[in-house]
Amino acid sequence: MAIYDLDGLLDKYSDEFLILEFNHLFISSSIREEVWLLQRRNDSPLIDKIVQAARDFSIQEVSDERDFETYSGGQKAILACLLTLALIDDRKIHGLNILLNNVLDSVSEENRSKLVQKFEEIRLTHNIRLFAEKDGHIQEILIGNGNPQR
Amino acid sequence: MEIRKGKYRLDNRNLHFDMVDDLNFNNSGGCFYFRGGNGFGKTSFLEKIIIPALRADNRPYLYIGQDIRTQLYTLRALLSIQGFKVSDTDEVELLRLWIHQGQSASVLILDEFDKYFPDYGFIFDWSADFIRTYIIVTHLGVNRRESVADNYRIYNVRFELIDIDGHLKNIRVRSE
Repeated sequence: MAIYDLDGLLDKYSDEFLILEFNHLFISSSIREEVWLLQRRNDSPLIDKIVQAARDFSIQEVSDERDFETYSGGQKAILACLLTLALIDDRKIHGLNILLNNVLDSVSEENRSKLVQKFEEIRLTHNIRLFAEKDGHIQEILIGNGNPQR
Repeated sequence: MEIRKGKYRLDNRNLHFDMVDDLNFNNSGGCFYFRGGNGFGKTSFLEKIIIPALRADNRPYLYIGQDIRTQLYTLRALLSIQGFKVSDTDEVELLRLWIHQGQSASVLILDEFDKYFPDYGFIFDWSADFIRTYIIVTHLGVNRRESVADNYRIYNVRFELIDIDGHLKNIRVRSE
């Protein structure tokens, strides 16, 4: 499987996983629009939660209206993860398998640890499992100490 | 070509760089690894400072950006126009053909290529005969010394956040 072959990725794994893919992180152009499409309403508390979380990752310039294309690649990957985490919490989703494709590799070592820690927090409360592709195979990312281990 | 130490401002991207070392691309055989946090301007520095300098210096370059999927569509179209039958060609072969076509280039830039191909030594194998300088943006902790020909000298270029003034980020760029 080519790692950026979206059709192949969806054919093979979309029944089983929620897929976050680096080259297709969003369907709209801003946090506000993305939340509107996902929640079907202007959910200000959820937006505030995402914006605040982004600032913890030193994305000081974040705002609900800012175009995703003006963020760096790594910042977009972080925002997509924070959006997903916020939504899982808000909708009280349990038992989800998340496949990160080229996402954790797009962020710095420090931010990677922080992101994985965020996933760890929600894994405990929402029974979330995290996976990534390696050498053509899907492997679970074992978390627990803040560092991803495959 | 040389990027001299000093202040560089990208106001429309809210980035101010303080380069504390010269970056000298004139010496053959350099492999520059750009490292730093997310949003610290590594790609902006490439696209707004280094690439314009390469153009001004008439130094042909090859650039594989972060959005490789879009670039591969373009490569497929470009190579088709040039007469290659690439409708069923896989992405690695597309890249090989493209790099083979680019032998006038002396600089090869890879922006987080290693997240798609963690073992990307093949890029060096294909290009070492004509590329004199590699510029590689990476978040991986280890230089791929085993992939680089022995005669390439490694430079680590660090992008470090000095402070944030409103939305403006002051970034120190240093070479080691």
